[in-house]
Amino acid sequence: MNAQLDRYHAADSLVLRGPSDGRTLAQRLTKRYAARITGAFVVPGCEGSYAPLPDDLPVALAEALRSRGIDRLYSHQAQAWAAAQAGDHVAVVTPTASGKSLCYTLPVITAAMTQHAKALYLFPTKALAQDQVAELLELNQAGELGVKAFTFDGDTPGDARQAIRLHGDIVVSNPDMLHQAILPHHTKWAQFFENLRYVVIDEVHTYRGVFGSHVANVIRRLKRVCAFYGVRPQFILCSATIGNPKEHAEALIEDVVTAITESGAPTGDKHVLLWNPPVVNPDLGLRASARSQTNRIARLAIKSGMKTLVFAQSRTMVEVLTKYLKDVFDNDPRKPARIRAYRGGYLPKERRAAEREMRAGSIDGIVSTSALELGVDIGSLDVVVLNGYPGSVASTWQRFGRAGRRQQSALGVLVASSDPLDQYLVRHPEFFQGASPEHARIQSDQPLILLDHIRCAAFELPFIGEEMFGTEVAAPWLDVLAEEGVLHREGDRWEWIADSYPAIAVSLRSVADGNFVVVDRTNGRQTIIAEVDFSAVPVTLYEGAIHMIQSVPYQVERLDWDGRKAYVTRTHVDYYTDAIDYTKLKVLDCFDTSHAGCGQAHHGEVHVVRRVPGYKKIRFYSHENIGYGSVNLLDQELHTTAVWWQLAQDVLGAAFEDRQQALDGFLGAAYALHIVATVAVMAEARDLQKSVGSGDGAWFVSADINGRGQLRGVDGQPTTLAADAPFTPTVYLYDAFPGGIGQSEPLFDRREDLIAQSVTLIERCDCRAGCPGCVGPVLAADEETATTPKALALRVLALLVAL
Amino acid sequence: MPANVRNLLLRHAQIKQQGPARLASRDRDVAGDEIAPGLRYTEARMDWLQPPALIDAAFARMEPMHHDRLLHFDTETTGLAGGTGTRAFMIGAADWIDGRFRIRQLTITSMAAETAMLRTFAGWLSDDTVLVSYNGKCYDAPLLATRYRLARLANPLHGLAHLDLLHPVRRRWKGVWENCRLATAERQLIGVVREDDLPGAEAPAAWLTYLKGGSAANLRRVAHHNAQDLKSLAGVLIQLSNLGEIPPPRRVRKIT
Repeated sequence: MNAQLDRYHAADSLVLRGPSDGRTLAQRLTKRYAARITGAFVVPGCEGSYAPLPDDLPVALAEALRSRGIDRLYSHQAQAWAAAQAGDHVAVVTPTASGKSLCYTLPVITAAMTQHAKALYLFPTKALAQDQVAELLELNQAGELGVKAFTFDGDTPGDARQAIRLHGDIVVSNPDMLHQAILPHHTKWAQFFENLRYVVIDEVHTYRGVFGSHVANVIRRLKRVCAFYGVRPQFILCSATIGNPKEHAEALIEDVVTAITESGAPTGDKHVLLWNPPVVNPDLGLRASARSQTNRIARLAIKSGMKTLVFAQSRTMVEVLTKYLKDVFDNDPRKPARIRAYRGGYLPKERRAAEREMRAGSIDGIVSTSALELGVDIGSLDVVVLNGYPGSVASTWQRFGRAGRRQQSALGVLVASSDPLDQYLVRHPEFFQGASPEHARIQSDQPLILLDHIRCAAFELPFIGEEMFGTEVAAPWLDVLAEEGVLHREGDRWEWIADSYPAIAVSLRSVADGNFVVVDRTNGRQTIIAEVDFSAVPVTLYEGAIHMIQSVPYQVERLDWDGRKAYVTRTHVDYYTDAIDYTKLKVLDCFDTSHAGCGQAHHGEVHVVRRVPGYKKIRFYSHENIGYGSVNLLDQELHTTAVWWQLAQDVLGAAFEDRQQALDGFLGAAYALHIVATVAVMAEARDLQKSVGSGDGAWFVSADINGRGQLRGVDGQPTTLAADAPFTPTVYLYDAFPGGIGQSEPLFDRREDLIAQSVTLIERCDCRAGCPGCVGPVLAADEETATTPKALALRVLALLVAL
Repeated sequence: MPANVRNLLLRHAQIKQQGPARLASRDRDVAGDEIAPGLRYTEARMDWLQPPALIDAAFARMEPMHHDRLLHFDTETTGLAGGTGTRAFMIGAADWIDGRFRIRQLTITSMAAETAMLRTFAGWLSDDTVLVSYNGKCYDAPLLATRYRLARLANPLHGLAHLDLLHPVRRRWKGVWENCRLATAERQLIGVVREDDLPGAEAPAAWLTYLKGGSAANLRRVAHHNAQDLKSLAGVLIQLSNLGEIPPPRRVRKIT
């Protein structure tokens, strides 16, 4: 313990005294920890580019802006104004904190003041919607503009809804409410729709994959209802930096947009460090944990008087890191807290308080999940530390974008975890530095999603004749719905006749409904202290779990699955818990089979099971594993479709020295196939999943800490195969959409192409042994081996190439 | 749409819900005259109760009104789901003509006839009409407002006085009777006991069966049920008007 304290003191000698900025801190860290910093670069800041307030702005609005200290616009705000006044649909793509909201606020308020025109705002989360209304109210008050803005979401009380429908100039909601509450009741909103001039959709980069495809269809329905009321609203969309902003905005609204991509907001220099934790055990190649390094960097920054934001990859890690920082900075309970945690699952009140305190500057350190990646207003920050790579280049920059003040340099540090992908990135900083942000993709015509929304649309207004829905002629889909019995065809009209409300059965986020509440029963209390969404429950609220809230540990005593409640009591243990979870696949039905080289390709229905068999207890600070607990939870199941490839045992026997080699080859091949397939069907990587397992479901393979294929049995425990046991490794690509049928069939149709493209992808990759661009990241040791993971993957694929 | 996608969708649809069987029936008689394509109209006059000339509406805090201003109405709909997908397939309305009770009913036998039905019903209303309903303020009136909006017609119910009897009945008898449904009120107040009544919940199926070519037998029972509802509305109103003002419910502090 003493040794540890000394180390901390040594680090404290780096604390900056006097004025501190990102550049100075970066320099000190680089000097002291040169061996850990594998990459350092500077994104130079830029001068602001300004434009005067437009002449055609209403006088009262211009006055309101001036009274709030805005007497000129950034160039992108002025461009957005001009484009909106010209009647264009507009997409604004600029970094965090560049004054994006003014791009839509100005045209919307102007139209409300001069023409009593209405506007609908859509934000992906309730928190962002509330932020926006607060901002609008402040501006409205400053100039007594008489513009009424309201949030309309699930929390809006019934008696307020009528007033909002009639009197709201700006209604701020989310796509889910539009889908389930507004469109199916559009006649109640008739006056609103008749005067609807602008639809503002912020954070459009979050509308991708399955969610984005749903939202694109909700927009089709919105346009259809607008047409009924004789209006054609103008769309203003905003996005964080992505690779294809214009294309994505146009895919969402299916119309031409004017894209504004040059930010006029001034920024300071941004220093970026890539940080690899030091090797602590050279024999085993073990590195120190990312969390200890993140903790150290954050502590230094906060002690140097810099406002610091730490991003962690999981809710548990948020709580652990918060505890570490609180142990240092919040050990005097009489003083107000300097450290805050921020994540989904806190009650809205608590999140609002955290946001307020951040803006007011009374908080010095905040630890968050991706929840703060979006535009929640928390004021300016100096340092952002990422505990692990967020999984995409776009997301990384979005998070780094949180740090930055106008006049001062900021610092962003990416601390690599032991994950092979993280390790690859810090070993190859040029990959990160040069990489362009990912593209957001949607597939609006995914058949099941399309059918769901044509169903909802038919409820809203009857379909007539050769009506199109998006780019599809609706009639064949309407026939399917008529056969199902929900529509009745009479002449050229299809009318809704079922006694049901279809939007309720369609969730845009395709997750099971029903948040769990966490009930504190300490000392006979019955207090709700948190909410946890359905998908996170199996890995956070199992009985025995330590559930932390603002780093206060509670133990889960009972999980009432049907009642959607977890009962916890306050505890004082010195460990936290980490769920062990895994996924396995079983083939239910094979629709189609064909030869694929020396093996076979199949397409069919599969059953995917996600199981949490147990958890690890991990002691704070030392991070040693001090025990296991078992979890008794029902499996999370998913019926879906998949395409898969197999090679026979004798073929593998001839091609590989041993089974381990074959497994590693399959893992690499799966990685490459997944990349190629994701692009081929324009899916989000998370909507299409890959898996390697036995053809008969007896075992599956996951990469272990060394990137090696590790066999696991049906119980999830590592296992080995008897030498004479059957061995038919299989690579699966499955549709992660429940009941999905959208993606696997086109993949099967293009099976030969996919294999050929995967081979090309790997062959053309510049790396020697393998990298995240082809067969997945590889460890340093593998870069030297004779038989590289790349070669093994190519060997598997070569056996599958069409003859 | 490619055939394979269509097959998958159909299979999916079958899993979701077993498709309806085609029900061809020879019993296709719907009562009334066809006054427009797909729109049936019935009218009946009967001796039913003795309305006082002036109806005392103090129970609803309204001035007394002559009984010939009253229009009792009740719709039969395709369901309770709400929203734009629910429609009325039958509108029944009753009034007093020279002291006799007149019941008029409109039934549509095709979707396309809805607009004609809405227009006809609008013609029965005038500025001084007082609507009488049971839960009509929350159910029938908003539903018709939606239908008029979808048909791009002005809503003739808008702005009319409306006596919704559910609320005074609740204020007076909640906790006294087992419930405050119309069937209970009519039994308690005017001694009506229905025989062979088609439960309201089966009305949607009755109409859909007919619409898809099935038997009209249950649809005729819906009309019967609807007529009885109108008679009961009138009876319950007369009883209520004898009660005078109903005090608001006492506020009882719950002690738990």
